[in-house]
Amino acid sequence: MQDVQKLVDFITTSNWLILLFGGLIGLMMTPAEFALGIVLGGLIVAINFHLLKKTLKTAFCPEVVLEKGRSVVSGALVKYYIRFGISGFIIYLLISKHIVHPLGLLAGLSVVVASMFLATVLELTRLFFKEAV
Amino acid sequence: MEFLVSSVWAAGLAIGIAAFGAAIGQGLGLSAAMTGISRNPEAAGKIQVNMLIGLAMIESLCIYALVVALILMYAHPALQSAIKVAFGA
Repeated sequence: MQDVQKLVDFITTSNWLILLFGGLIGLMMTPAEFALGIVLGGLIVAINFHLLKKTLKTAFCPEVVLEKGRSVVSGALVKYYIRFGISGFIIYLLISKHIVHPLGLLAGLSVVVASMFLATVLELTRLFFKEAV
Repeated sequence: MEFLVSSVWAAGLAIGIAAFGAAIGQGLGLSAAMTGISRNPEAAGKIQVNMLIGLAMIESLCIYALVVALILMYAHPALQSAIKVAFGA
């Protein structure tokens, strides 16, 4: 359990770090629109990840599941779609008003996926070296 | 004109198919997690964490599809020239 919790903590921290470094590199090396896309896209998914974590922690604790049964799923899905609708609307505004460069936004939206990929690579490396020793 | 119509069709299909797949995947995942927690409440923490990662992954894919759909409609590289050809503006 501790290992699994550590993994989520790692992903949460690396989300912000990747966003910070990605934003800084974007600001230094790409046009302002592209860099803004990275920062705003990264912010959207990092905040989404936090809210998803909060929803799951409150809705899926054993007491609530045993008490409410399968209605917990519909509650979690409704919250998910509200969150998705709001982020969709923000992304719509950013793209349709040409506030950000779409490719920069795509890069920013990949922050959470990049964190997960990094966590997987680190876990695999650790596993590989543990077996080698 | 056909280019614009095709873009809108492609955008609609892209987000529609992505949302369909994501909804099915999330529903199955959440349902299985619920069953797991009901049967073994001590494993709730582990299930929550794995579910969090899975759901975030599914959500990212759906957001990518949304962005691609919006790009097709509002920020397609050939959109301006297509509008010029279609409407002569």
